[in-house]
Amino acid sequence: MGEINQNITQKTNEKVEEEVNQEEIPGVITTTSNAISDFIKKTAAQDFINWGRKNSLWFMTQPMGCCGVEMIATGCAHYDTDRFGIIPRNSPRHADVMIISGYVTKKYLPALKNLWEQMASPKWILAMGDCSISGGPFYESYSTVQNIDEIFPIDVFIPGCPPRPEALLEGFIQLQKKIAAKKDKGTNY
Amino acid sequence: MDAKTIIDSISNEFSDSISNTLIESEIRVSAYVSSPDVVEVCRYLKESLGFDHLSCESVVDYIKRDEFEVVYHIASYDHPVVLTLKAILPRDNPVIDSIVDVYWNANWYERENYELYGVSYTNHPYLKVLVLPEEMLGEWPLRKDYEGFPQKTAKNLV
Ligand code: SF4
Repeated sequence: MGEINQNITQKTNEKVEEEVNQEEIPGVITTTSNAISDFIKKTAAQDFINWGRKNSLWFMTQPMGCCGVEMIATGCAHYDTDRFGIIPRNSPRHADVMIISGYVTKKYLPALKNLWEQMASPKWILAMGDCSISGGPFYESYSTVQNIDEIFPIDVFIPGCPPRPEALLEGFIQLQKKIAAKKDKGTNY
Repeated sequence: MDAKTIIDSISNEFSDSISNTLIESEIRVSAYVSSPDVVEVCRYLKESLGFDHLSCESVVDYIKRDEFEVVYHIASYDHPVVLTLKAILPRDNPVIDSIVDVYWNANWYERENYELYGVSYTNHPYLKVLVLPEEMLGEWPLRKDYEGFPQKTAKNLV
């Protein structure tokens, strides 16, 4: 009895979490190492995985500035992004791609970081419009965050004010090419 | 009620505090008010002259004169005259009474003036930031001598 009590008092919250994670499931071997996925990354299997990933780039509908209107238009039926596997999702949990579609203000940046943290890996970011690339027309404002690429790992920059829906689609296609070539920032190759 | 009656009425009632009255046209008049009396003047305007609608309250930074001007645009649903009421404040200590007691919708105008210019309103019910992030309070970004802008040029464009 004394031993058990000691053990319980010594456990910190972290240790409890670890033990829950490593709990044994009958017939299943669990591990916390990346060895398997690191090994797969070097084989041809990764090409197949990437083929799957690049053809299901679901993006988060998170319009921020006036570019957001173009983003919504892109997601509508006329441009039929579904043929590339690009589907708008409402929840960051379902999404693979975050589009920074407009000006990032000092007040909005924490929320944007939260959304990015909530997305499940693998995930990618597109910077859409001059505002997200460099501040755009608001580059000298007291509330604009400039140089967003120092904060997020951005794969494709889509210039324009706003970029046309075709340009956004082209951005997605460039991202698909990057993923197929294993040059994207969503995964550490 | 026409423009001249209104101007005469407030000039007679507050002969000490109202100055520089101007009748720009049939429907636009303006006047300066000394800042301690602004609540009294507003109450008189609302209760006796039918000015029941505050359409705007803003601040102008006259950095060369070292002064702020608080500008009230007050209008009415009964007559067509719009009154521009201005109060001058010193730039180093801009304090003025809140007119929320008279015009309730001044609440958010005054909060915004507070966060952007640092004009502090006494007797305001909730003088906190309105849209700025909390940590920017105290920078007063719309003052003419504000320096905290980001880079002058966009890094990715040069
Ligand atoms: S880049 Fe142009 S269209 Fe896009 S959010 Fe900025 S100002 Fe609006």
